[in-house]
Amino acid sequence: MKTISFAYSTRLTFDDNVINHSFALRCIPIESPPQRIVSYNLTVTPYTNLNYSTDTFGNNVASGYIARLHRYLDFDLHGVAVMDSTVPKTDLRPFYHFPSLMTKPNEKAEELFSAVRDKLAFMNPREKTVYLAEYIHSFLRYDKSLTGITTTAAEAIGLGGGVCQDFSHVLLMLLRMSGVHCRYIAGLSFCDGETHSWIEFWDGEQFVGYDPTNLCYATDEYIVLSQGRDYVDCAVDRGRMFGAYTRQVQLVKSKLEILSYE
Amino acid sequence: MENNVQSFIPTALTESSVEINELLRRYGVKFGIYKNGVFKEQFFPFDPIPRVITHEDFSQIEKGLCQRVNALNMYLYDIYHDKKIIKDGVIPEDFAYISSGYLPQCEGITPKNKIYSHILGIDLVQADSGEWYILEDNLRIPSGASYPLIARELTRISAPKAFSENYVADNRDYAQLLKSTMDYVNCGGINAILTPGRYNAAYFEHSYLAELTGAMLVENNDLFVENNILYCRTYSGGKERVGALYRRISDDYLDPLCFRPESLIGVPNIMEAFRAGNTAIINAPGNGVADDKGIYYFVPKMIKYYLGEDAILKNAPTYLPFYEEDFKFVMDNLETLVIKDVAEAGGYGVVFGNSLSSERLEALRQMIIAEPRRFIAQEVINFRDLPIMENGETVMRKADLRAFVLAGETTKVWASGLTRFSRDPSSFVVNSSQGGGFKDTRVLSQ
Repeated sequence: MKTISFAYSTRLTFDDNVINHSFALRCIPIESPPQRIVSYNLTVTPYTNLNYSTDTFGNNVASGYIARLHRYLDFDLHGVAVMDSTVPKTDLRPFYHFPSLMTKPNEKAEELFSAVRDKLAFMNPREKTVYLAEYIHSFLRYDKSLTGITTTAAEAIGLGGGVCQDFSHVLLMLLRMSGVHCRYIAGLSFCDGETHSWIEFWDGEQFVGYDPTNLCYATDEYIVLSQGRDYVDCAVDRGRMFGAYTRQVQLVKSKLEILSYE
Repeated sequence: MENNVQSFIPTALTESSVEINELLRRYGVKFGIYKNGVFKEQFFPFDPIPRVITHEDFSQIEKGLCQRVNALNMYLYDIYHDKKIIKDGVIPEDFAYISSGYLPQCEGITPKNKIYSHILGIDLVQADSGEWYILEDNLRIPSGASYPLIARELTRISAPKAFSENYVADNRDYAQLLKSTMDYVNCGGINAILTPGRYNAAYFEHSYLAELTGAMLVENNDLFVENNILYCRTYSGGKERVGALYRRISDDYLDPLCFRPESLIGVPNIMEAFRAGNTAIINAPGNGVADDKGIYYFVPKMIKYYLGEDAILKNAPTYLPFYEEDFKFVMDNLETLVIKDVAEAGGYGVVFGNSLSSERLEALRQMIIAEPRRFIAQEVINFRDLPIMENGETVMRKADLRAFVLAGETTKVWASGLTRFSRDPSSFVVNSSQGGGFKDTRVLSQ
């Protein structure tokens, strides 16, 4: 068990003033059996009233609306979580079993999958996950210049590389093809200055976190911000605003610190 | 009874066809279609010979549709909550969850009074034998009620005797039915109708229904969500709360922060207001999981499961290639069946096996083998042809009936409906987007 303080901030700057800005943030870490949120504080500037709800996937959603002219949107979150990965996460849902928007296989993916289908036949979900994650590294390299947030698993394979989001998508796609329930995780970890992504697979009794980018299990040092079928369900911020120039620059910072071990 | 229908039509009415079509033009009764990427507005050709449905036939249809709609609403509640029908093995989970209409974002949300589908357009056909069959359920945004409504109104003007001398059920109550359906689920505030705008195929209908029901006609930028409450901007710069929104845009585009992010016609965070129970969305998002062409096959089973009754109205005989036994049947009889792509609507993605060349039939066969879940196969029902006027002569054409069912405090079937016919004598496809016309549907009151 570990007590960890987390901090996460984003500054969105628009090229010009915008109005009628609606947004939904999924940046408050989820509350789950292995992840207890002791306290948190979310500030949005310019000030607006926030409404809190929990979506289908268990994510905390803070939504708001800013009608008046503004040039930027800042949100700043910090808090403390107690992590204990020995407590199981059991919120299995049927939709984690089926291909999602970002994880639909194409022909190339079918081909890559067929090449290892026989090997997977006698593996359990845990073995499949480890095997497939290593397999992915044989055709996908870590490269920040190739993909964006809307790149699908199939597209990432075509490009031959990507970032943590793409490694997660490709692994989810292959795991679902092999019959394993699994989900996308957006979160914070010590290896990253921004947000990180990994996956959780269903081992028959509980969800187990696995980081396909770094080829390791997700430990007590991985804070889950949001979870879902793929990135689309987990986007940390989504918004819509009006203005002549709504091009924006997003600056993200995150920091984790271990406060105590037990 | 059926054979006397012809004699029931006053000649004056038939002659007034030109006048009514002229009036429809003047009122702007149009629908838009996109063909080869170009938007065109078309008049919806009106045929003056009404379809007449006997009182007995209609009572049977009414009972059957109410039963069906009640079961469909129970199914929707079940799918987004306990999923008992899947756990009990009545519907395979693949069919529910692969359906593009299934929206995980709606899991656990309970619309007011547990009504998911408030306004349904259910398509039926009458076979040669006289029996009625359900062709498809439309639980999302079925359009068409306004066309027979205004056509009847205009016919009353040009041929008043047809109504004073015959026992035709008055259909002018549609607006009242629609209004009470909205009122019943209203969560506090006004009723509004959300249209994507004047380039939508059914814009005439949106504006006409708003006018008749007193609901405010709005576009997405008239609406916003603040503190989980849906508001409409007023002309004076204020805001008015919306308690029930009859939206005429599809789920995918409804909320850019919940569904497709690129939607420009949606209302951000409307799903949050809906989840919090602060507004009703008519029809509720996620209904597509019940009118998927693959789910259609299971509706009689749903009726049995939820209501313990046998379905009063039959489905067209349907086969799911997903099941091995049906797959064999479909492969052996492909040239005699109608094949439908479950993901398509509006008459698109429907092919008749007997109309295909052997190469195209083979290509279709390969598609079914590759993706059996994607298709359903139906036996061709010999629809009863209806007489229509063409260049002053009466010719027989294929027609269907879209019956409108409204689920409010009780479930009611509108005693009228949209009869669409194919203008092409060899075609069974009657959808207006495929160039068909329509007739008035007169239900005899005794």
